[in-house]
Amino acid sequence: MSDQESKIDLQSICKNIIGIGKNYKDPLKEHVPTDEDPFIFAKPTTSLITEGSSIQIPKGWGTIIHEVELGVVIGKRAKFVSEDIAMDHVLGYVLALDMGKSLEFDKYPILLIKGFDTSCPISDFIPKSKINNVNNLNLKLSVNGNTRHDGNTQDLIHKIPKLISYLSNYFTLDYGDLILTGTPAGISTVKHGDVIEASLENLANIKFPVFEIQ
Amino acid sequence: MASQVIKVQTVCRNIIAVARNYTEHAKELGNPVPKENPLVFGKPVSSIITEGEIQIPHGWKELHHEVELGVVIGKPGKFIKPENAMDHVMGYVLVLDMTARSIQQELKKQGYPWFLAKGFDTSCPISDFIPKSAVKDVHNLNLKLTVNGITKQNGNTKDMIFKVPDLLSYISNYFKLEYGDLILTGTPSGVSGVKHGDIIEASLDDLAKIKFPVVENEK
Repeated sequence: MSDQESKIDLQSICKNIIGIGKNYKDPLKEHVPTDEDPFIFAKPTTSLITEGSSIQIPKGWGTIIHEVELGVVIGKRAKFVSEDIAMDHVLGYVLALDMGKSLEFDKYPILLIKGFDTSCPISDFIPKSKINNVNNLNLKLSVNGNTRHDGNTQDLIHKIPKLISYLSNYFTLDYGDLILTGTPAGISTVKHGDVIEASLENLANIKFPVFEIQ
Repeated sequence: MASQVIKVQTVCRNIIAVARNYTEHAKELGNPVPKENPLVFGKPVSSIITEGEIQIPHGWKELHHEVELGVVIGKPGKFIKPENAMDHVMGYVLVLDMTARSIQQELKKQGYPWFLAKGFDTSCPISDFIPKSAVKDVHNLNLKLTVNGITKQNGNTKDMIFKVPDLLSYISNYFKLEYGDLILTGTPSGVSGVKHGDIIEASLDDLAKIKFPVVENEK
């Protein structure tokens, strides 16, 4: 890993966070509809936090939900890129938690339930060269030591090249932009006092305490 | 006063917009008027343009124009009280919140977010920066938009349901506001479709004027 790569501070360079929902195969279903368009939303960059900070539940919400995801960091501007060269535009990765108020998308604006401050905790930057096969990475998350998510990126419905290509048709992706690629099953609630730990294989490990704003 | 040209497109790292903030606009789309809290959504900063063409993604055929007052944040803050909110404002821009209306309806039906319909490249044309001092009363500004010379929207910021200080205060409770952030404050009634070849012009009182041609991408 070069000196430059190890110093990538995503919070400083990121101007855009795009999240992809419903992107893991349901273990209970056999048929996987891959011709559906991705479920796309955004989180403001103010939602980013790194270890040392805590996840802050907005006052009065009581509980929030967790999702654990592989985040893809863009290295080279991408617009109208085809799938076969999409990976050339990747700088590296982060392990990310996509925190949310709930799954009540019809009740609250998605920016509010997915984008509140501290709703995007991330690990240190992982250079692209550190990952041999991005389609076989274990994603794990536990709450107070109890495993909630235990999945693998092999179950991504829309794979990374497809996501980059699709998004770049509508949005110019720039250096530092972050794409959250979806979560495996296991969503549950957390409340004030809980501690979340998550890992991406042996590449990244993060730990974040949860507090509710008083 | 220091003469510093603020380039919003360079300093902006977040765009937060408010939907249905003018009663007549909510009604014209058959939408309920928000009562308790503003209805917020986001646009990516990649959507900002200051010149050139508004580009309809290939196949979408039509977009809706929405002319809005944009508020630019100067002083960062969180949990801002309404009475202090205007201290955090450094200026304004005139904005078009371009929207792929039929895509938005389709996404709503599927239970999908609006982000694609509101955030595609060139969906946020803005004017030059207007310093705060140039605006006497932010709640008495005329917003006008024409398509091919025909007036479509002609409203006034006095008709905002949630006024600027309340919007900033509410938004800052959930999202810390940073220098350069852009808040879109809603559009008056009169939204209509534009297609390839149309020309949009808009004005904010005598403070800003913009003109953008519309094209549909061939690819």
